[in-house]
Amino acid sequence: MINLQPYSNPAYFGILLIALLPVIIGLYFGRRLKIYESIFTLAFLILTFGGDHWHQGAALILYTCYQVLLTMGFTHYRWNKNQTTIFVSAVILSILPLIIVKFTPLFPNYNGFNIGFLGISYLTFKTVQVIMELRDGTIKEISWSQYLHFLLFFPTISSGPIDRYRRFIKDYENVPDRSAYLDDVSKAVFYLIQGFLYKYILGYIFGTLLLPNVARAAMSQSSAFGGTGISWYLLGYMYVYSMYLFFDFAGYSLFAVSISYFMGIKTPMNFNKPFLAHNIKEFWNRWHMTLSFWFRDFIFMRFTFWVMKHRWVKNRVRMSQLAYLVNFLIMGFWHGLTWYYIVYGLFHAAAIIINDYWLRYKKNHADKIPHNKFTEGLAIFVTFNIVCFSFLIFSGFLNQLWF
Amino acid sequence: MKTRKKLWLIFGPVIIAAIAVWLVLLLPFSHQRISQDSLKHGAVSLSTNVYHGQLFKKQAFSENYVPFLGSSELLRMDPLHPSVLAAKYHRSYQPFLLGNAGSQSLNHFFTLQGVHPQLQGKKIVYIISPQWFTKRGQEPDAFSFYYSPLQAIQWLLSVNDSTATRYAAKRLLEMPSGKASSTIAAALNKVAKGERLNQSDRFLLNLRLRILLNEDALFSRFSLADHWKTIEKGERLLPSHDSDTLLTKTAIQLAKKHTNNNTFGIDNHFYSERLRGSRINGLRNSQKHYDYRQSPEYSDLELLLTEFKQLNANVLFVIPPINQKWATYTGLPLPMLQETATKIKYQLRSQGFNHIADLTNDTHANYMMQDTIHLGWLGWLKVDEKVNPFLTQTQAQPRYQLNSYFFTPQWQKSLTLQKSDGTNGK
Repeated sequence: MINLQPYSNPAYFGILLIALLPVIIGLYFGRRLKIYESIFTLAFLILTFGGDHWHQGAALILYTCYQVLLTMGFTHYRWNKNQTTIFVSAVILSILPLIIVKFTPLFPNYNGFNIGFLGISYLTFKTVQVIMELRDGTIKEISWSQYLHFLLFFPTISSGPIDRYRRFIKDYENVPDRSAYLDDVSKAVFYLIQGFLYKYILGYIFGTLLLPNVARAAMSQSSAFGGTGISWYLLGYMYVYSMYLFFDFAGYSLFAVSISYFMGIKTPMNFNKPFLAHNIKEFWNRWHMTLSFWFRDFIFMRFTFWVMKHRWVKNRVRMSQLAYLVNFLIMGFWHGLTWYYIVYGLFHAAAIIINDYWLRYKKNHADKIPHNKFTEGLAIFVTFNIVCFSFLIFSGFLNQLWF
Repeated sequence: MKTRKKLWLIFGPVIIAAIAVWLVLLLPFSHQRISQDSLKHGAVSLSTNVYHGQLFKKQAFSENYVPFLGSSELLRMDPLHPSVLAAKYHRSYQPFLLGNAGSQSLNHFFTLQGVHPQLQGKKIVYIISPQWFTKRGQEPDAFSFYYSPLQAIQWLLSVNDSTATRYAAKRLLEMPSGKASSTIAAALNKVAKGERLNQSDRFLLNLRLRILLNEDALFSRFSLADHWKTIEKGERLLPSHDSDTLLTKTAIQLAKKHTNNNTFGIDNHFYSERLRGSRINGLRNSQKHYDYRQSPEYSDLELLLTEFKQLNANVLFVIPPINQKWATYTGLPLPMLQETATKIKYQLRSQGFNHIADLTNDTHANYMMQDTIHLGWLGWLKVDEKVNPFLTQTQAQPRYQLNSYFFTPQWQKSLTLQKSDGTNGK
């Protein structure tokens, strides 16, 4: 049986756009073809998770049933009661499959059924978000069919961007008027072509043409600089990998956003010129935005409120520092249980804490610190290099180089 | 009216771009010609775009270029390299180098597709490395690197059912590259079973072929590795007359100068970059268990021989020696190497391929190799002693009788030169 990996080749885009044509024409005439969309979503899920990948398909079905039951159960519970222990248990149960998947690589001898599938992290972000909002009361009612559409919205199923339930349902239940929809389609076409440029031209140049060569050159210098392997080639690897990471992922995100827009769903953007950030804080408002906003809303803020409520830390500065540390450490763990992802998280926590010190210092000494085009350029340059260095850690290349 | 204009502004550019791309990919561009100068560069570039495509090969083989098929030794372009000698002394032929590190018989079989009319009845030089004949034979990764869907399609569209055809289809299906395109994989599955391709198979393959031919015509001349400068540099170091004694003197002089930082007779640069220090210690006795006598490569070679027969080509086979000092250090068993050469020669001779330059007996001689296993200086000169007369003098028309026994696993694994019918080959 054919198996299509999302956005992997021209055939996928061809099939996708032809299958989308009725949806597009429907929206143009002010109708959302819900039944057709459901059938078409199912067909694409089968193409992605069927064939050779049927194990993943089975895992996806189990996972989805589990999450729907959990969420519907919690919704019913929440109508009458609101105990913290139940809420915490629901969150833990919701994250549990992902935790198991993340721990599986630590047991290389385990040969049983793997409950993982492409995109499990991104579905978990969605389920946790809904449970938290149910607790807050910002979501009161959930219909299982709307929840399924939200969870399994296939343009974003494999790697985001991470949408929010209420935002998604608003788009899904509304049909834009013709002129607004044409604006969406215009953006969709633009993002699609921009995605091609990013992923298939720039991502290819950096990832396929350059990266293996700089990697080989850097590996050949593994005994350089007193055995640390620090060489000019390693620096080259750092920049090439950073560019590859950005263009590959931003390209993919543009595809997901583009296809969503064709379907009249305004999935939020993931990147906003991240390498032009003036500091690390701003960087996280521009890089993988839907992930960092999710972490901000559901880790950073929750943690801060929780600590404040219990008055464990009184000093506001200390508290935000602690929250950053927790936030980025969890993000590191989420990427995977290897030393370099965790160090990556710690590195960013340290960077953003130092950045906070500097911003406060700058605010207090605003009269003494110059601000002009040159200092802005310097800030962008420094931020860019710190970020690229963090990606060198993230790439795992140091692991190969050293161990 | 307003929405129509809006629709046009959204989709117009995309439609125009799509039409332009399809025109570029589907209009026939194949009548392109290449200048003599780019041909010269292409012949020694060893670039994969030349190897994958047909633009260069087609034109080269209709002129006086002779295919030199081989692997990594082709890159050892010292002044005694065949391309330098032919250029310096304005020989009646010019080598067209095909292959580089990792390319073996299976790749070479495919790279000759698409240039059949140009190669019909021509001469070919084939440098067979014993090192290809490993237990696994052709490495899938290396195969992918040299594999070209263009050639696979050209072959699929021209095949007739035979043992060789089925063998080639099965071999290609064993490689990840053969399965990369579903159209090609489906056609290969049919051909492997001896079935014929139907109209729709052929239509799809022809469509893909047209696109690939245009890509070749448009892009293959770009990003060629420029080795022509090395060739010209080599020419300046050669004596002005094509004389054996003078060339031998030059070869020994150069070899001495370039191999004086080690006792293995290995090129100084190669030695200091790849071997010196702790690396060389790890290689001591590392090749003790190497065995080239049993390998699927023997059948891949047979596949290429069927191709040579089909082309009615006159082929000179060169079996290069290895560096004996190095072999002693790494523990490579020399009798095994001799037996490998004997097995290869048996496969060739018994089917009528009689032009063989087996240099494995020169393994002990100095200055034959540029490094561990690659021909250099005197080695290239030895090759030239065979190649030059073979290519410049008229040769009798060969008569080949092929034997499909060489496609069998029995032959791949055979340690004796016994044929399936029990008769004893020499």
